[in-house]
Amino acid sequence: MIQVVKQLKEARKAAKKAASDPDTPEEMVVGKAWDSTLARRLWREARPHHGLFYGAFAVLAVLFVLEMAGPWIIRNAIDGPVAEVIALRAQGDTPTLEQGMEGPTRELIWWALAYLACTLGMTSFRYLEVAHLTRTGQSVVHDLRVKLFKHIESLDLSWFDKRPTGSLVTRVTSDIENLGEMFTSGLVTLGFDFVRIAVLLVVLFVLHWQLALVVLALMPLLIGVSLVFRGGARNAHRAVRAKLSVLNGYLQEVLQGMRVVHVFRREARVSQRFRDLLGQYLQANVRTIVLFALFFPALDFVVNGIQAAIVWVGGLDISSGDLEVGEFFQFWLYVGMLLNPVRELGERYNVLQSAFASSERIFQVLDTQPTVASGSRARGAAVRGVIRFENVSFDYLPGVPVLQDVSFEIPAGATVAVVGATGAGKSTLANLLMRFYDPTRGRITLDGVDLREYELEELRSQFGLVLQEDFLFAGSVRENLVMERSEVSEASLARALDASRARVVLERLPQGLDAPVAERGATLSTGERQLLAIARALAGSPRIVVLDEATASVDSQTEHQIEEAQDNLLAGRSALVIAHRLSTVRKAHKILVMHRGVLREQGTHEELLRLGGIYARLHRLQFAGDGG
Amino acid sequence: MKQLWIQFQRFLRYRWTLAAGVACIPLAALGDVWITKIVGDAIARLREGSDTEFLSGMFWLMMAVALVRGIFRYLQRWWIVSVSRYVEVGLKQDLFDKLVELPLSFHVQHRSGDLVSRLTSDVENVRMFLGPGLMYTGGALVMVPASLIYLLALDASVAAWMVVPLVIMGLGMKWMAPRLEKHSLAVQESAAEISHKAQEAFSGIRVIKGYAREEQQTRRFGSASAKSLHHQLELGRARGVTHAITWGSKDLTFLPILFVGGMAMMNKDLPAGDLFKFIDLIAKLFWPIIALGWMAGIYPRAVVSAGRVSELLETQPEIADPSAPIELDEVRGRLELERVSFRYPGAEREAVENVSLVVPENTVLGVVGPTGSGKSTLLNLLTRLFDASAGEIRLDGAPIKRLNLATLRGALAYVPQDSFLFSDTWRANVGFGADEPLDDATVAELADRACMAGEVATFPGGYDQKIGERGVTLSGGQRQRTCIARALAGDPRVLVLDDSLSAVDTETEAQLVRNLRSASHGRTVILAAHRLSTVRHADQIVVLSKGRIVQRGRHDELLEQPGWYADTWSRQQAQAELAGL
Repeated sequence: MIQVVKQLKEARKAAKKAASDPDTPEEMVVGKAWDSTLARRLWREARPHHGLFYGAFAVLAVLFVLEMAGPWIIRNAIDGPVAEVIALRAQGDTPTLEQGMEGPTRELIWWALAYLACTLGMTSFRYLEVAHLTRTGQSVVHDLRVKLFKHIESLDLSWFDKRPTGSLVTRVTSDIENLGEMFTSGLVTLGFDFVRIAVLLVVLFVLHWQLALVVLALMPLLIGVSLVFRGGARNAHRAVRAKLSVLNGYLQEVLQGMRVVHVFRREARVSQRFRDLLGQYLQANVRTIVLFALFFPALDFVVNGIQAAIVWVGGLDISSGDLEVGEFFQFWLYVGMLLNPVRELGERYNVLQSAFASSERIFQVLDTQPTVASGSRARGAAVRGVIRFENVSFDYLPGVPVLQDVSFEIPAGATVAVVGATGAGKSTLANLLMRFYDPTRGRITLDGVDLREYELEELRSQFGLVLQEDFLFAGSVRENLVMERSEVSEASLARALDASRARVVLERLPQGLDAPVAERGATLSTGERQLLAIARALAGSPRIVVLDEATASVDSQTEHQIEEAQDNLLAGRSALVIAHRLSTVRKAHKILVMHRGVLREQGTHEELLRLGGIYARLHRLQFAGDGG
Repeated sequence: MKQLWIQFQRFLRYRWTLAAGVACIPLAALGDVWITKIVGDAIARLREGSDTEFLSGMFWLMMAVALVRGIFRYLQRWWIVSVSRYVEVGLKQDLFDKLVELPLSFHVQHRSGDLVSRLTSDVENVRMFLGPGLMYTGGALVMVPASLIYLLALDASVAAWMVVPLVIMGLGMKWMAPRLEKHSLAVQESAAEISHKAQEAFSGIRVIKGYAREEQQTRRFGSASAKSLHHQLELGRARGVTHAITWGSKDLTFLPILFVGGMAMMNKDLPAGDLFKFIDLIAKLFWPIIALGWMAGIYPRAVVSAGRVSELLETQPEIADPSAPIELDEVRGRLELERVSFRYPGAEREAVENVSLVVPENTVLGVVGPTGSGKSTLLNLLTRLFDASAGEIRLDGAPIKRLNLATLRGALAYVPQDSFLFSDTWRANVGFGADEPLDDATVAELADRACMAGEVATFPGGYDQKIGERGVTLSGGQRQRTCIARALAGDPRVLVLDDSLSAVDTETEAQLVRNLRSASHGRTVILAAHRLSTVRHADQIVVLSKGRIVQRGRHDELLEQPGWYADTWSRQQAQAELAGL
């Protein structure tokens, strides 16, 4: 016993330590087991499926009635016809089928048929119990999952910036799955377990109140054992999972860094480290084994105790004839039905606890509202594409300005190139134009109207965006280029492929447009990805282009293709280009020179040269030889 | 089966504990039957009238049997499951050591996800079957025959009829197990798909928002989720059928008890206590029979997993120490490559083709060329991460294939392109490069030489600051310089850098390159780079294109030749100026 208490204490300690250890994933932090505010909200979220829930309760109720009927039939058969014949025998008669046995036999057959019917009914409702509860839980899960995904997508980029992608994925995967568990084995089953326990207790009291008192008196012992051990087991389990995730994390890390391990000949060192982690994992596991090895026998022992007490107390009544044997059987079977849900209380408790923790995290996300909100102004006539930045300032963190009082105009159809050092605020200009963020002060207008007034989706569909490391999705090349945009037709796609020189890429792929693209475009080279990104932008025939030029070095032939593609993309469109190529800068209608968030110079190449500022100095340095 | 037997031999290392655990199985199972017998006998006797003394005796006997049974069950579980965990840990260690031993050519051919699953789910499948599986099967194999024999002795006709639903249950489980397996696999796969889709959408959120494609992504995600829902419902139905079969057959066993037993009570005077034994033992037979069906269900998966585990353990490394190694007393650091070619397994063309060059000791070689021209591959050949498919590489005149891997890799240090670091402290990461633990002075000196001392000083934890996922996040340049400090920690004669200065600003870069060369005994440095300013002071520069050397010479010489080097130099200079405004 001392051993057990020690193990329980250690498990709790280990769990506490794991909870405060920053290495422990947030999923393992302990939460409340019941929170009625959250529960009410979850119930509201499940509103479209309330019918399914009522159905589930109905299935459980019918099943319960049938389950109760079984022992009742057995009792009636034994205390009825069987007892009748036995009583005859006791009087010294030897009943035969013709005499004395005929009635009871027929009655027994009827009871047997009733039992068979009851079994068939139970079997079909047992199927429904599982299938329908799954349907209920999973339907809610599906709805909530899509809703949550849609909501996350609508949130500000600044929200994404602060969160690792992995934890966002957890929200729509394991957190949501925990909720599914909660709806099925939590709310419905647990809710019904209480009904079941209450009804059974009443029935037991009606059947034989003295025996029922014995059961009721010993039940807290069972609940106690179940809860205490489950608590300990949960803590121990959590410690095992934490150790296992560290172990697997290290394994993955070593696989990823195998080159380094080999070249530095550190095979023995990483092996030793893995051995240490395995040792910790094993130690945590041993605790779980002890607890589980104790848990089941201990529960059984308590159940046996209750049974022994029933026989003791009931035995007196049987011998005195106050309790019929059939009635005793019925009581015995009902006690079995009563104890099962009580044994499982601990398990249900665990499910609820992790589900409430998950739902809290989910609601936190759902309660976050995007600040970059859509305006109501629909695009009237065709967009001309005059963009104006008016005294725009921006900071990601309060007090750390990224842009200060920037004003410039992109005339319709003109290319504006932005140059400047890393951190000068070039990308921020593009981010603000796309409304990934809103300016802290000042405003940006398109055709004279503040961007914030436009309907967001309408606004963004005017843009063609090409990023330095553009993102390709798993799917076919065609899917990546079209992206289900209504404005992209076969014809515009074909034009885009020609203008972007992406045909060259397709020729290399045996399946052409239908060739599969691996996640993040891993099967394509850097240059190929860039050409496809330009084709994607062109296919939408955008009025405005936002282009962050790629810097990676590709071979000169590809370099040339990219340059041509870019020229075609920019031709006749309003464009903001973060320029890394001098040729782009030279061709631009206007050049913006950014320095530490301030727009220092703007003008055409010639104007800036005449100005004799930063740009001119650079140009002199660089092109002193070729007469630029 | 043979595969499972091979893995089972690992269990036999703990044969005495295992034997003790297995011995507890029948004892615990018989205790169960005994308890039923006590109660049944009591009921039979009570009907003929009884006394409290008998009842209290029965009570204490039952409690004693229950206690002993509980102890055996505890020991059974404790010993058998513990052994299975020890075996698991041993197996994981062996697999890990094998993975570390296998050369890079093995790792590039196997996705890390697949390797991880061999150490995780495959090991778990084997453990589950051979450990707890063994325990449950053993329990069932004692419990079921023992109960049936006992019941047959009580009343043959009732027991015989009862076997029918039990057989239905066992067969039903066996029949449903592969279906459950199939559906749960589909559920797992669709869950993975959901996770992929979410991962992708959240990483590519800029593109999605930029093209206002939120609705499209929601549809994509929604269809993945709907697919998962579909599989979940199918699994739910399969589970429902299984649940109905098992419970239905359990319920059905009461029918012969009720009817045949009832008739027997009427005709043959079967005591009511015996009828009770039937009722009570059925409940106890339920779980062992389900366990048997479950075992039959997971058996195929365990065999496959055992095969995958053995396959990995039996893989032999291709790159190994030579049988008669050449010993080098002191490495001077002269490298020669003679007509070296290399082709990746399954690739269409050579990644490095016919490369010949000499790197005299204590000189710097620059390797440049466009993306995909073979720079990294060439460096991998020098460190024998891969073996050249043709030609020969020599260190101080000795072919590197004839050197012990320890000699070769001890002489050179390598800075990888991906700046791989462990999620550990800064000190531990740098110390990874040294054979002995580093003292504070050495760590400080290394930080200084990697031009990192100032930044490390700003970390809250200094040299003991944890870096990576759950510590401070290093910038690209900081990661690269940490990798350089790690490479310098072993004071190597040859230093190989795979484009490892790209994120370092040009001023620091010049200082770093100087620091790399300086060592009391001089040092050979090989620099692959995409930015040409990195190699401008190299003693020799080679330009690679599609795996071949197309230009070679010093910086000034190459600038004067028309070609890739001169073009790229002027373009990069211009870019640098643009960026440096």
